[in-house]
Amino acid sequence: MTFVLPVGPQHPSLKEPEFFRFEVKGEEIVDVDIRLGYAHRGIEEAFSRRNYKHNVYLAERICGICNVVHSTTYCQTIEQLAGIEPPERAKYIRTIIMELERIHSHLLWLGVAAHQIGFDTLFMLAWRDREEVMDMRELISGGRVHSATNTIGGVRRNVKLEHIPEMLRRLDKLEKSTGYYADLWGSDRTILARCSKVGVLSKDDAVKFCAVGPVARASNLKLDIRRNDPYGTYEALSFDVVTESEGDVWARGTVRLREILESIRIVRQALHELPSGPLRVPVELKIPPNETLERTEAPRGELVYYARSNGTETPERIRVRTPTYGNFASMKSMFIGGTVAEIPIVMWSIDPCFGCNDRATILDARTGKVSVVNFKQLKRWRR
Amino acid sequence: MDSKNVVELIKEYASNVRTTDERSLFVTVDLKNFEKMLQKLKEAGVTHISTITGVDTGDFVEVIYHFDCRPAMLSLKIFLPRDDPKIQTISGIFPGAVLYERDLMEMLGVRVEGHPDPRRLFLPDDWPEGEYPLRKGWREKKR
Repeated sequence: MTFVLPVGPQHPSLKEPEFFRFEVKGEEIVDVDIRLGYAHRGIEEAFSRRNYKHNVYLAERICGICNVVHSTTYCQTIEQLAGIEPPERAKYIRTIIMELERIHSHLLWLGVAAHQIGFDTLFMLAWRDREEVMDMRELISGGRVHSATNTIGGVRRNVKLEHIPEMLRRLDKLEKSTGYYADLWGSDRTILARCSKVGVLSKDDAVKFCAVGPVARASNLKLDIRRNDPYGTYEALSFDVVTESEGDVWARGTVRLREILESIRIVRQALHELPSGPLRVPVELKIPPNETLERTEAPRGELVYYARSNGTETPERIRVRTPTYGNFASMKSMFIGGTVAEIPIVMWSIDPCFGCNDRATILDARTGKVSVVNFKQLKRWRR
Repeated sequence: MDSKNVVELIKEYASNVRTTDERSLFVTVDLKNFEKMLQKLKEAGVTHISTITGVDTGDFVEVIYHFDCRPAMLSLKIFLPRDDPKIQTISGIFPGAVLYERDLMEMLGVRVEGHPDPRRLFLPDDWPEGEYPLRKGWREKKR
């Protein structure tokens, strides 16, 4: 007989709410069901209620950690919709802050992953070094997390000449420490014991369920939008698309760590080649009827924006497909056959990012039946 | 496949083709040719569906399937009548579409027939039947 193990919405592995219903047979997971929507804020509808400029800030608030890639993708989509070409310097500044974001996102991932497997020293070290990136972002935009750098037609903040030596110095420091973490990730007994051959996603399943980002690349799929469908300045910059073949949690970590090193390379190149010129071009916000699709490589994978204009200052429809949404379909095959102790680290290995709701799950101890109860019912029971 | 190759592959089933650049195109298809076109894409090695977008235009519910043909992005459009939008599931051919179809069902009220798991995805369980938040005028109606 199987036993139902509810995990969430108050979560062991994430600071965000989502509900997972595991069916277990002893220690072994035999089935999993995921419930989404605890953080659904109706942003797609909100997009079509605000004008194009306001929506830059809304896009930025879809996700705190990857706010720059959201605003960049949004701005690129609208620029394409309106036929605007942003200045070269703006494209380079976007690349710099997007890659800094990737570095900070991956280091954050490393820290939390280390914490999940009980390796808190590594957690502290990774987050200490993440401060270097946060400081660099503060240098450019004045904000450690939210940069508010992007605008339609270019950028609002400049990378000043006097910032460059400071940034290069910090990048050197980061490169050294990331190299050390990458070595550690491949040799430490605790990490190998907890991550190797755990939560395996085969290449076939990754293709079948349309996995994206580091999850796909760890299953040996060479899929990176920066290379496959280059945008901004990525065509002119040299970097390697990192892949691993194991498909387990360890491989996903290795891919992310090696990607930090590639991102450092990209930032250095972009700082070196940074062209002079204006930061933005003026834009007309009344965009004639048109539609377009744009995608970028966010730290977590392929980010897709679809936009349709209708001749006014407000978009008709904006659709956003975030990378975590794209990776949910492949989560099931990572869990099934694994054990209960693996749940937090496997869950974290896709680097999920969710956004709260009003439901509770009740497990009847006599019959083993699970039912979902809404807030009204809970209030009735309280009386 | 770039846009040109994609057009070459599917033009016999397409009713309208708009190529925006070599890596992006919008194609309209009729309901009767839809499955043939999907089979054709599958045979040509397309495996990745990026997402499904639903747009309520007022007259129609437009469903747009975004396929990654590496590198071209094919946006496959299909127009459904607004009073009774229904379409066959594509999850048999492209299993990655399962969640996007659930999203489409609850947000726009499109009936996806043959879907293996037609439960709600984002909306709560006590959400009223027949209320589709991305339908045009839904919010005004609620006030």
